Amino acid sequence: MTDRPQSREFRAATAEETRALGARIATLLGPGDLVVLAGPLGAGKTTLVQGLAEGLKVRGPITSPTFVIARVHPSLSGGPALVHADAYRIGGALEIDDLDLDASLAESVTVVEWGEGLVEGLSEDRLEILIKRFEGEERPAAGVPADAEERVIRLTPIGPRWSTTSLTHP
Amino acid sequence: MSRTDEPIVLGIETSCDETGVGIVRGHTLLANTIASSMDEHARFGGVVPEVASRAHLEAMAPTVEGALAAAGLRLSDVDAVAVTAGPGLAGALLVGVAAAKAYAMGLGVPLYGVNHLAAHVAVDQLEHGPLPKPAIALLVSGGHSSLLLVPDVAQDVVSLGSTVDDAAGEAFDKVARVLGLPFPGGPYIDRAAREGSGTAVAFPRGKYDDGTLDFSFSGLKTAVARWVEAREAAGEPVSVADVAASFQEAVVDVLTRKALQACARYDVKDLLIGGGVAANSRLRVLAQERCDAAGVRLRVPRPGLCTDNGAMVAALGANLVAAGVDPSSLDIPADSSLPITTVHV
Repeated sequence: MTDRPQSREFRAATAEETRALGARIATLLGPGDLVVLAGPLGAGKTTLVQGLAEGLKVRGPITSPTFVIARVHPSLSGGPALVHADAYRIGGALEIDDLDLDASLAESVTVVEWGEGLVEGLSEDRLEILIKRFEGEERPAAGVPADAEERVIRLTPIGPRWSTTSLTHP
Repeated sequence: MSRTDEPIVLGIETSCDETGVGIVRGHTLLANTIASSMDEHARFGGVVPEVASRAHLEAMAPTVEGALAAAGLRLSDVDAVAVTAGPGLAGALLVGVAAAKAYAMGLGVPLYGVNHLAAHVAVDQLEHGPLPKPAIALLVSGGHSSLLLVPDVAQDVVSLGSTVDDAAGEAFDKVARVLGLPFPGGPYIDRAAREGSGTAVAFPRGKYDDGTLDFSFSGLKTAVARWVEAREAAGEPVSVADVAASFQEAVVDVLTRKALQACARYDVKDLLIGGGVAANSRLRVLAQERCDAAGVRLRVPRPGLCTDNGAMVAALGANLVAAGVDPSSLDIPADSSLPITTVHV
Protein backbone atom coordinates (compact mmCIF):
# COMPACT_ATOMS: atom_id res chain seq x y z
CA MET A 1 0.00 0.00 0.00
CA THR A 2 1.34 3.44 -0.85
CA ASP A 3 1.18 6.46 1.35
CA ARG A 4 -1.69 8.80 0.73
CA PRO A 5 -1.72 12.36 1.98
CA GLN A 6 -4.82 11.82 4.12
CA SER A 7 -3.43 8.79 5.89
CA ARG A 8 -3.00 8.95 9.62
CA GLU A 9 -0.97 6.63 11.75
CA PHE A 10 -1.51 5.54 15.32
CA ARG A 11 0.55 3.41 17.63
CA ALA A 12 -0.73 0.66 19.91
CA ALA A 13 1.68 -0.92 22.35
CA THR A 14 -0.65 -3.69 23.49
CA ALA A 15 -3.72 -5.62 22.35
CA GLU A 16 -5.69 -3.53 24.85
CA GLU A 17 -4.57 -0.33 23.12
CA THR A 18 -5.48 -1.80 19.73
CA ARG A 19 -8.94 -2.56 21.09
CA ALA A 20 -9.27 0.95 22.55
CA LEU A 21 -8.29 2.52 19.21
CA GLY A 22 -10.93 0.34 17.54
CA ALA A 23 -13.55 1.73 19.92
CA ARG A 24 -12.50 5.27 19.05
CA ILE A 25 -12.56 4.56 15.30
CA ALA A 26 -16.12 3.28 15.77
CA THR A 27 -17.23 6.81 16.63
CA LEU A 28 -16.43 7.78 13.01
CA LEU A 29 -18.53 5.02 11.48
CA GLY A 30 -22.16 4.94 10.46
CA PRO A 31 -24.65 2.92 8.38
CA GLY A 32 -23.33 1.99 4.94
CA ASP A 33 -19.66 2.45 5.82
CA LEU A 34 -17.13 -0.07 4.57
CA VAL A 35 -13.86 -0.74 6.39
CA VAL A 36 -11.16 -2.78 4.65
CA LEU A 37 -8.82 -4.20 7.25
CA ALA A 38 -5.38 -5.43 6.19
CA GLY A 39 -2.34 -6.79 7.94
CA PRO A 40 -0.36 -10.02 8.18
CA LEU A 41 -1.38 -13.13 10.09
CA GLY A 42 -1.51 -12.29 13.80
CA ALA A 43 -1.31 -8.52 13.29
CA GLY A 44 -4.35 -7.95 15.49
CA LYS A 45 -7.15 -7.51 12.95
CA THR A 46 -9.76 -9.37 14.96
CA THR A 47 -8.58 -7.53 18.09
CA LEU A 48 -9.25 -4.21 16.38
CA VAL A 49 -12.70 -5.41 15.32
CA GLN A 50 -13.42 -6.33 18.94
CA GLY A 51 -12.77 -2.68 19.76
CA LEU A 52 -14.99 -1.51 16.89
CA ALA A 53 -17.75 -3.74 18.24
CA GLU A 54 -17.40 -2.28 21.72
CA GLY A 55 -17.60 1.22 20.29
CA LEU A 56 -20.59 0.36 18.10
CA LYS A 57 -22.33 -1.40 21.01
CA VAL A 58 -23.21 -4.53 19.05
CA ARG A 59 -23.86 -8.07 20.29
CA GLY A 60 -20.70 -10.14 20.65
CA PRO A 61 -18.69 -12.16 20.88
CA ILE A 62 -16.40 -11.11 18.03
CA THR A 63 -14.49 -14.18 16.91
CA SER A 64 -12.70 -14.94 13.67
CA PRO A 65 -15.21 -15.19 10.80
CA THR A 66 -12.71 -16.97 8.54
CA PHE A 67 -14.72 -20.18 8.32
CA VAL A 68 -18.21 -18.74 8.03
CA ILE A 69 -17.04 -15.88 5.75
CA ALA A 70 -19.23 -13.32 7.51
CA ARG A 71 -21.10 -12.81 10.73
CA VAL A 72 -23.76 -10.23 11.59
CA HIS A 73 -23.65 -8.59 15.02
CA PRO A 74 -26.92 -6.73 15.69
CA SER A 75 -26.85 -3.46 17.59
CA LEU A 76 -27.69 -3.42 21.27
CA SER A 77 -28.40 0.29 21.23
CA GLY A 78 -30.55 0.95 18.16
CA GLY A 79 -27.53 1.79 16.00
CA PRO A 80 -26.17 0.04 12.90
CA ALA A 81 -25.32 -3.67 12.96
CA LEU A 82 -21.71 -4.72 12.46
CA VAL A 83 -21.09 -7.10 9.57
CA HIS A 84 -17.73 -8.78 10.20
CA ALA A 85 -16.51 -10.50 7.06
CA ASP A 86 -13.32 -12.33 6.22
CA ALA A 87 -12.07 -12.92 2.70
CA TYR A 88 -9.21 -15.23 3.77
CA ARG A 89 -10.87 -18.23 2.14
CA ILE A 90 -12.41 -16.31 -0.73
CA GLY A 91 -11.01 -16.84 -4.21
CA GLY A 92 -11.21 -14.04 -6.77
CA ALA A 93 -12.78 -10.61 -6.66
CA LEU A 94 -15.54 -10.29 -4.14
CA GLU A 95 -18.94 -9.08 -5.16
CA ILE A 96 -21.47 -7.81 -2.75
CA ASP A 97 -23.65 -10.90 -3.02
CA ASP A 98 -20.63 -13.05 -2.28
CA LEU A 99 -20.60 -11.80 1.29
CA ASP A 100 -23.40 -14.31 1.62
CA LEU A 101 -25.48 -12.19 3.89
CA ASP A 102 -29.11 -11.64 4.54
CA ALA A 103 -28.35 -8.35 6.25
CA SER A 104 -28.72 -5.03 4.50
CA LEU A 105 -25.24 -3.63 4.06
CA ALA A 106 -26.65 -0.13 3.57
CA GLU A 107 -27.88 -0.20 7.15
CA SER A 108 -24.77 -1.79 8.62
CA VAL A 109 -21.11 -1.06 9.24
CA THR A 110 -19.21 -3.64 7.18
CA VAL A 111 -15.66 -4.64 8.10
CA VAL A 112 -13.78 -7.00 5.79
CA GLU A 113 -10.57 -8.70 6.89
CA TRP A 114 -8.15 -9.98 4.25
CA GLY A 115 -10.14 -7.95 1.74
CA GLU A 116 -7.43 -5.89 0.06
CA GLY A 117 -7.44 -6.37 -3.68
CA LEU A 118 -10.82 -8.13 -3.50
CA VAL A 119 -13.46 -5.80 -2.13
CA GLU A 120 -12.57 -2.41 -3.54
CA GLY A 121 -15.45 -2.74 -5.99
CA LEU A 122 -17.97 -2.94 -3.16
CA SER A 123 -18.00 0.81 -2.56
CA GLU A 124 -16.28 3.89 -3.90
CA ASP A 125 -16.05 5.05 -0.30
CA ARG A 126 -14.13 3.07 2.23
CA LEU A 127 -11.84 3.39 5.20
CA GLU A 128 -8.70 1.33 4.78
CA ILE A 129 -6.96 0.24 7.95
CA LEU A 130 -3.54 -1.37 7.78
CA ILE A 131 -2.11 -2.95 10.94
CA LYS A 132 1.53 -3.87 11.06
CA ARG A 133 4.12 -4.42 13.68
CA PHE A 134 6.22 -1.37 14.49
CA GLU A 135 9.65 -2.04 13.06
CA GLY A 136 11.32 1.33 13.60
CA GLU A 137 14.65 1.54 11.84
CA GLU A 138 15.63 -1.98 12.71
CA ARG A 139 13.68 -5.17 12.86
CA PRO A 140 12.69 -6.08 16.40
CA ALA A 141 14.91 -8.70 17.96
CA ALA A 142 13.83 -12.26 17.32
CA GLY A 143 12.28 -13.74 20.40
CA VAL A 144 10.30 -10.69 21.47
CA PRO A 145 6.88 -12.07 22.45
CA ALA A 146 4.33 -11.32 19.74
CA ASP A 147 1.93 -9.69 22.17
CA ALA A 148 4.60 -7.31 23.44
CA GLU A 149 5.26 -5.82 20.04
CA GLU A 150 4.05 -2.35 19.23
CA ARG A 151 1.64 -2.04 16.31
CA VAL A 152 1.35 0.73 13.76
CA ILE A 153 -2.23 1.27 12.65
CA ARG A 154 -2.68 3.35 9.51
CA LEU A 155 -6.05 4.79 8.55
CA THR A 156 -6.58 5.80 4.93
CA PRO A 157 -9.94 7.28 3.93
CA ILE A 158 -10.96 6.77 0.30
CA GLY A 159 -13.76 8.53 -1.56
CA PRO A 160 -16.07 11.52 -1.08
CA ARG A 161 -17.78 10.02 2.00
CA TRP A 162 -14.60 10.68 3.95
CA SER A 163 -13.72 14.11 2.52
CA THR A 164 -15.52 15.86 5.36
CA THR A 165 -14.57 13.52 8.20
CA SER A 166 -11.51 14.33 10.25
CA LEU A 167 -9.40 11.39 11.30
CA THR A 168 -7.44 13.52 13.71
CA HIS A 169 -9.31 12.54 16.83
CA PRO A 170 -10.85 9.11 16.47
CA MET B 1 -43.76 -46.38 6.05
CA SER B 2 -40.76 -48.37 7.08
CA ARG B 3 -41.06 -52.08 7.50
CA THR B 4 -39.85 -51.99 11.08
CA ASP B 5 -41.17 -49.96 13.96
CA GLU B 6 -38.28 -47.51 13.78
CA PRO B 7 -38.64 -44.49 11.48
CA ILE B 8 -36.47 -43.96 8.42
CA VAL B 9 -35.04 -40.43 8.56
CA LEU B 10 -33.39 -38.62 5.66
CA GLY B 11 -30.83 -36.04 6.86
CA ILE B 12 -29.55 -33.12 4.77
CA GLU B 13 -26.45 -31.09 5.64
CA THR B 14 -25.26 -28.05 3.64
CA SER B 15 -23.86 -25.69 6.27
CA CYS B 16 -20.47 -25.26 4.59
CA ASP B 17 -18.56 -27.00 1.79
CA GLU B 18 -20.07 -30.49 1.92
CA THR B 19 -23.40 -31.55 0.50
CA GLY B 20 -24.23 -34.43 2.83
CA VAL B 21 -27.22 -36.77 2.74
CA GLY B 22 -27.58 -39.52 5.30
CA ILE B 23 -30.29 -42.09 5.93
CA VAL B 24 -30.90 -43.87 9.23
CA ARG B 25 -33.47 -46.31 10.56
CA GLY B 26 -33.67 -45.33 14.20
CA HIS B 27 -29.98 -45.15 15.01
CA THR B 28 -28.93 -47.71 12.44
CA LEU B 29 -26.90 -46.07 9.69
CA LEU B 30 -28.16 -47.01 6.23
CA ALA B 31 -26.35 -44.48 4.02
CA ASN B 32 -23.99 -41.53 4.31
CA THR B 33 -23.32 -39.88 0.96
CA ILE B 34 -21.23 -36.73 0.52
CA ALA B 35 -20.48 -34.43 -2.41
CA SER B 36 -17.86 -31.80 -1.78
CA SER B 37 -17.45 -28.49 -3.53
CA MET B 38 -13.80 -28.38 -2.44
CA ASP B 39 -12.59 -29.27 -5.94
CA GLU B 40 -14.52 -26.39 -7.41
CA HIS B 41 -13.16 -24.05 -4.75
CA ALA B 42 -9.65 -25.24 -5.49
CA ARG B 43 -10.08 -24.03 -9.06
CA PHE B 44 -10.78 -20.54 -7.72
CA GLY B 45 -8.04 -20.72 -5.09
CA GLY B 46 -10.51 -20.41 -2.24
CA VAL B 47 -14.12 -20.63 -1.22
CA VAL B 48 -16.57 -18.63 -3.26
CA PRO B 49 -19.88 -18.49 -1.41
CA GLU B 50 -21.85 -18.16 -4.64
CA VAL B 51 -20.04 -21.22 -5.97
CA ALA B 52 -20.67 -23.09 -2.73
CA SER B 53 -24.40 -22.39 -2.93
CA ARG B 54 -24.56 -23.35 -6.58
CA ALA B 55 -22.55 -26.51 -5.94
CA HIS B 56 -24.98 -27.51 -3.18
CA LEU B 57 -27.86 -26.85 -5.54
CA GLU B 58 -26.38 -29.00 -8.30
CA ALA B 59 -25.34 -31.78 -5.93
CA MET B 60 -28.52 -31.96 -3.87
CA ALA B 61 -30.81 -34.23 -5.90
CA PRO B 62 -28.02 -36.58 -7.11
CA THR B 63 -26.72 -36.92 -3.54
CA VAL B 64 -30.19 -37.78 -2.25
CA GLU B 65 -30.55 -40.35 -5.03
CA GLY B 66 -27.09 -41.73 -4.25
CA ALA B 67 -27.97 -42.12 -0.57
CA LEU B 68 -31.27 -43.85 -1.39
CA ALA B 69 -29.48 -46.24 -3.74
CA ALA B 70 -26.84 -46.98 -1.10
CA ALA B 71 -29.56 -47.71 1.45
CA GLY B 72 -31.59 -49.77 -1.00
CA LEU B 73 -34.62 -47.59 -0.41
CA ARG B 74 -37.05 -45.53 -2.42
CA LEU B 75 -37.95 -41.95 -1.59
CA SER B 76 -41.41 -43.13 -0.56
CA ASP B 77 -39.82 -45.20 2.24
CA VAL B 78 -38.72 -42.03 4.07
CA ASP B 79 -40.70 -41.28 7.23
CA ALA B 80 -39.19 -37.92 8.17
CA VAL B 81 -36.75 -35.33 6.80
CA ALA B 82 -34.17 -33.56 8.99
CA VAL B 83 -31.99 -30.67 7.87
CA THR B 84 -29.27 -28.43 9.29
CA ALA B 85 -31.01 -25.07 9.91
CA GLY B 86 -27.83 -23.45 11.28
CA PRO B 87 -25.24 -22.35 12.14
CA GLY B 88 -23.22 -22.06 8.93
CA LEU B 89 -22.91 -20.07 5.71
CA ALA B 90 -26.26 -18.39 5.08
CA GLY B 91 -26.48 -19.08 1.35
CA ALA B 92 -25.28 -22.66 1.74
CA LEU B 93 -27.75 -23.44 4.54
CA LEU B 94 -30.55 -21.99 2.47
CA VAL B 95 -30.15 -24.64 -0.25
CA GLY B 96 -30.41 -27.54 2.18
CA VAL B 97 -33.34 -26.02 4.05
CA ALA B 98 -35.24 -25.36 0.82
CA ALA B 99 -34.58 -28.87 -0.46
CA ALA B 100 -35.63 -30.44 2.84
CA LYS B 101 -38.89 -28.50 2.83
CA ALA B 102 -39.57 -29.64 -0.74
CA TYR B 103 -38.90 -33.31 0.07
CA ALA B 104 -40.97 -33.15 3.29
CA MET B 105 -43.87 -31.45 1.55
CA GLY B 106 -43.72 -33.68 -1.51
CA LEU B 107 -43.62 -36.84 0.60
CA GLY B 108 -46.11 -35.58 3.16
CA VAL B 109 -43.75 -36.38 6.04
CA PRO B 110 -42.63 -34.23 9.01
CA LEU B 111 -39.69 -31.82 8.72
CA TYR B 112 -37.14 -31.27 11.51
CA GLY B 113 -34.76 -28.28 11.33
CA VAL B 114 -31.82 -29.03 13.59
CA ASN B 115 -28.68 -27.45 15.02
CA HIS B 116 -25.46 -28.42 13.27
CA LEU B 117 -23.47 -28.67 16.52
CA ALA B 118 -26.04 -30.84 18.29
CA ALA B 119 -25.99 -33.10 15.21
CA HIS B 120 -22.19 -33.50 15.65
CA VAL B 121 -22.99 -34.87 19.12
CA ALA B 122 -25.91 -37.05 18.04
CA VAL B 123 -23.95 -38.82 15.31
CA ASP B 124 -21.98 -40.83 17.86
CA GLN B 125 -25.10 -42.91 18.58
CA LEU B 126 -24.77 -44.45 15.10
CA GLU B 127 -21.45 -45.97 16.13
CA HIS B 128 -21.50 -46.34 19.92
CA GLY B 129 -25.16 -46.63 20.84
CA PRO B 130 -27.29 -44.46 23.11
CA LEU B 131 -25.65 -41.36 24.58
CA PRO B 132 -25.06 -41.31 28.32
CA LYS B 133 -27.13 -38.63 30.04
CA PRO B 134 -25.49 -36.31 30.72
CA ALA B 135 -22.34 -36.22 28.59
CA ILE B 136 -19.70 -33.56 28.00
CA ALA B 137 -19.03 -32.90 24.31
CA LEU B 138 -15.94 -31.24 22.84
CA LEU B 139 -16.69 -30.06 19.30
CA VAL B 140 -13.67 -28.96 17.32
CA SER B 141 -13.69 -28.10 13.62
CA GLY B 142 -12.67 -25.40 11.20
CA GLY B 143 -15.53 -23.24 12.31
CA HIS B 144 -16.21 -24.30 15.90
CA SER B 145 -14.43 -24.97 19.19
CA SER B 146 -17.04 -25.60 21.87
CA LEU B 147 -17.47 -27.43 25.13
CA LEU B 148 -21.05 -28.54 25.74
CA LEU B 149 -22.94 -30.13 28.58
CA VAL B 150 -25.46 -32.47 27.00
CA PRO B 151 -28.18 -33.63 29.40
CA ASP B 152 -30.33 -34.72 26.41
CA VAL B 153 -29.22 -34.17 22.81
CA ALA B 154 -32.82 -33.97 21.60
CA GLN B 155 -33.94 -31.34 24.11
CA ASP B 156 -31.24 -29.75 26.18
CA VAL B 157 -27.70 -28.71 25.26
CA VAL B 158 -25.80 -26.18 27.38
CA SER B 159 -22.76 -24.22 26.19
CA LEU B 160 -19.96 -24.32 28.76
CA GLY B 161 -17.33 -22.51 26.72
CA SER B 162 -16.13 -21.75 23.22
CA THR B 163 -13.31 -20.00 21.41
CA VAL B 164 -12.99 -16.28 21.99
CA ASP B 165 -11.13 -15.80 18.69
CA ASP B 166 -10.08 -18.51 16.19
CA ALA B 167 -11.50 -22.03 15.96
CA ALA B 168 -9.00 -24.85 16.51
CA GLY B 169 -9.30 -26.11 12.94
CA GLU B 170 -8.80 -22.61 11.62
CA ALA B 171 -5.53 -22.39 13.58
CA PHE B 172 -4.45 -25.66 11.94
CA ASP B 173 -5.27 -24.23 8.50
CA LYS B 174 -3.44 -20.96 9.08
CA VAL B 175 -0.36 -22.54 10.65
CA ALA B 176 -0.26 -24.98 7.73
CA ARG B 177 -0.10 -22.02 5.39
CA VAL B 178 2.76 -20.51 7.43
CA LEU B 179 4.61 -23.82 7.13
CA GLY B 180 3.93 -24.14 3.40
CA LEU B 181 1.61 -27.13 3.85
CA PRO B 182 -1.56 -27.57 1.74
CA PHE B 183 -5.19 -26.82 2.68
CA PRO B 184 -6.97 -28.15 4.69
CA GLY B 185 -4.11 -28.02 7.15
CA GLY B 186 -5.24 -30.56 9.76
CA PRO B 187 -4.21 -33.83 8.10
CA TYR B 188 -0.92 -32.36 6.81
CA ILE B 189 0.11 -31.02 10.22
CA ASP B 190 -0.87 -34.32 11.82
CA ARG B 191 1.34 -36.18 9.33
CA ALA B 192 4.29 -33.76 9.58
CA ALA B 193 4.09 -33.80 13.39
CA ARG B 194 4.71 -37.56 13.53
CA GLU B 195 8.33 -36.89 12.50
CA GLY B 196 8.80 -34.05 14.99
CA SER B 197 8.94 -33.33 18.71
CA GLY B 198 5.97 -31.86 20.52
CA THR B 199 8.31 -30.28 23.05
CA ALA B 200 10.74 -28.74 20.56
CA VAL B 201 9.21 -25.26 20.87
CA ALA B 202 7.26 -24.08 23.93
CA PHE B 203 4.40 -22.33 22.15
CA PRO B 204 1.91 -20.44 24.33
CA ARG B 205 -1.31 -22.11 25.49
CA GLY B 206 -4.06 -19.50 25.53
CA LYS B 207 -6.43 -19.30 28.52
CA TYR B 208 -4.66 -22.32 30.05
CA ASP B 209 -5.21 -21.41 33.69
CA ASP B 210 -7.89 -18.77 33.49
CA GLY B 211 -10.56 -20.86 35.20
CA THR B 212 -12.97 -20.63 32.25
CA LEU B 213 -13.90 -23.34 29.77
CA ASP B 214 -13.24 -20.99 26.86
CA PHE B 215 -10.47 -21.37 24.31
CA SER B 216 -8.14 -18.96 22.52
CA PHE B 217 -5.98 -19.98 19.57
CA SER B 218 -5.18 -16.62 17.99
CA GLY B 219 -2.12 -15.96 20.17
CA LEU B 220 -0.77 -19.42 19.42
CA LYS B 221 -1.19 -18.90 15.67
CA THR B 222 0.61 -15.55 15.94
CA ALA B 223 3.41 -17.06 18.01
CA VAL B 224 4.01 -19.77 15.42
CA ALA B 225 4.04 -17.22 12.59
CA ARG B 226 6.53 -15.01 14.47
CA TRP B 227 8.74 -17.92 15.46
CA VAL B 228 9.02 -19.13 11.87
CA GLU B 229 9.52 -15.60 10.55
CA ALA B 230 12.31 -14.89 13.05
CA ARG B 231 14.16 -18.09 12.15
CA GLU B 232 13.85 -17.40 8.45
CA ALA B 233 15.03 -13.80 8.93
CA ALA B 234 18.07 -15.11 10.80
CA GLY B 235 18.78 -17.56 8.01
CA GLU B 236 18.24 -20.52 10.33
CA PRO B 237 16.56 -23.70 9.12
CA VAL B 238 12.97 -24.30 10.25
CA SER B 239 12.02 -27.86 11.11
CA VAL B 240 8.48 -28.13 9.78
CA ALA B 241 8.06 -31.38 11.69
CA ASP B 242 9.07 -29.86 15.04
CA VAL B 243 6.98 -26.71 14.58
CA ALA B 244 3.96 -28.78 13.48
CA ALA B 245 4.36 -31.16 16.43
CA SER B 246 4.87 -28.38 18.98
CA PHE B 247 1.92 -26.39 17.64
CA GLN B 248 -0.30 -29.46 17.58
CA GLU B 249 0.75 -30.35 21.13
CA ALA B 250 -0.23 -26.88 22.34
CA VAL B 251 -3.69 -27.20 20.74
CA VAL B 252 -4.51 -30.71 21.92
CA ASP B 253 -3.07 -30.03 25.39
CA VAL B 254 -5.45 -27.16 25.99
CA LEU B 255 -8.44 -28.90 24.32
CA THR B 256 -8.12 -32.05 26.40
CA ARG B 257 -7.24 -30.17 29.60
CA LYS B 258 -10.38 -28.04 29.42
CA ALA B 259 -12.56 -30.99 28.37
CA LEU B 260 -11.45 -32.95 31.44
CA GLN B 261 -11.91 -29.85 33.60
CA ALA B 262 -15.50 -29.69 32.32
CA CYS B 263 -16.06 -33.36 33.21
CA ALA B 264 -14.71 -32.76 36.72
CA ARG B 265 -16.62 -29.54 37.26
CA TYR B 266 -19.98 -31.07 36.29
CA ASP B 267 -19.16 -34.53 37.66
CA VAL B 268 -19.72 -36.17 34.26
CA LYS B 269 -18.00 -39.45 33.44
CA ASP B 270 -18.51 -39.50 29.66
CA LEU B 271 -16.67 -37.32 27.15
CA LEU B 272 -17.51 -37.20 23.46
CA ILE B 273 -15.26 -35.53 20.88
CA GLY B 274 -16.65 -34.55 17.50
CA GLY B 275 -15.98 -32.27 14.53
CA GLY B 276 -13.27 -32.52 11.90
CA VAL B 277 -10.39 -31.94 14.32
CA ALA B 278 -11.47 -35.10 16.18
CA ALA B 279 -9.73 -36.94 13.34
CA ASN B 280 -6.37 -35.65 14.66
CA SER B 281 -4.35 -38.64 15.81
CA ARG B 282 -2.54 -36.84 18.64
CA LEU B 283 -5.82 -35.45 20.00
CA ARG B 284 -7.23 -38.99 20.14
CA VAL B 285 -4.15 -40.36 21.93
CA LEU B 286 -3.85 -37.58 24.51
CA ALA B 287 -7.61 -37.52 25.16
CA GLN B 288 -7.57 -41.28 25.79
CA GLU B 289 -4.60 -40.96 28.18
CA ARG B 290 -6.18 -38.17 30.16
CA CYS B 291 -9.63 -39.80 30.23
CA ASP B 292 -8.09 -43.05 31.49
CA ALA B 293 -6.26 -41.15 34.23
CA ALA B 294 -9.45 -39.35 35.26
CA GLY B 295 -11.76 -42.37 35.05
CA VAL B 296 -13.75 -40.80 32.20
CA ARG B 297 -15.12 -42.86 29.30
CA LEU B 298 -14.14 -41.42 25.88
CA ARG B 299 -16.26 -41.67 22.74
CA VAL B 300 -14.95 -40.49 19.38
CA PRO B 301 -16.86 -41.38 16.21
CA ARG B 302 -14.86 -42.61 13.24
CA PRO B 303 -13.44 -39.79 11.07
CA GLY B 304 -16.11 -40.12 8.36
CA LEU B 305 -18.76 -39.30 10.95
CA CYS B 306 -16.71 -36.51 12.60
CA THR B 307 -16.48 -34.28 9.55
CA ASP B 308 -19.66 -32.67 8.23
CA ASN B 309 -22.12 -35.24 6.91
CA GLY B 310 -25.82 -35.92 6.45
CA ALA B 311 -25.97 -38.98 8.74
CA MET B 312 -25.41 -36.80 11.80
CA VAL B 313 -28.44 -34.70 10.87
CA ALA B 314 -30.52 -37.83 10.32
CA ALA B 315 -29.32 -39.21 13.67
CA LEU B 316 -30.50 -36.13 15.55
CA GLY B 317 -33.73 -36.22 13.56
CA ALA B 318 -34.28 -39.78 14.77
CA ASN B 319 -33.87 -38.56 18.37
CA LEU B 320 -36.48 -35.89 17.79
CA VAL B 321 -38.94 -38.34 16.24
CA ALA B 322 -38.39 -40.78 19.12
CA ALA B 323 -38.87 -38.01 21.70
CA GLY B 324 -42.17 -37.01 20.12
CA VAL B 325 -40.95 -33.48 19.47
CA ASP B 326 -43.25 -31.35 17.32
CA PRO B 327 -42.00 -31.13 13.72
CA SER B 328 -40.74 -27.80 12.36
CA SER B 329 -43.06 -25.61 10.36
CA LEU B 330 -42.51 -25.44 6.61
CA ASP B 331 -41.50 -21.78 6.84
CA ILE B 332 -38.45 -22.15 9.10
CA PRO B 333 -35.57 -19.91 8.02
CA ALA B 334 -31.92 -20.83 7.67
CA ASP B 335 -30.19 -19.18 10.64
CA SER B 336 -26.46 -18.65 10.08
CA SER B 337 -25.86 -17.86 13.76
CA LEU B 338 -28.29 -20.33 15.36
CA PRO B 339 -27.24 -20.64 19.03
CA ILE B 340 -26.38 -24.07 20.39
CA THR B 341 -29.11 -23.74 22.99
CA THR B 342 -31.60 -24.17 20.13
CA VAL B 343 -31.31 -27.88 19.32
CA HIS B 344 -34.20 -27.80 16.86
CA VAL B 345 -36.25 -24.99 15.33
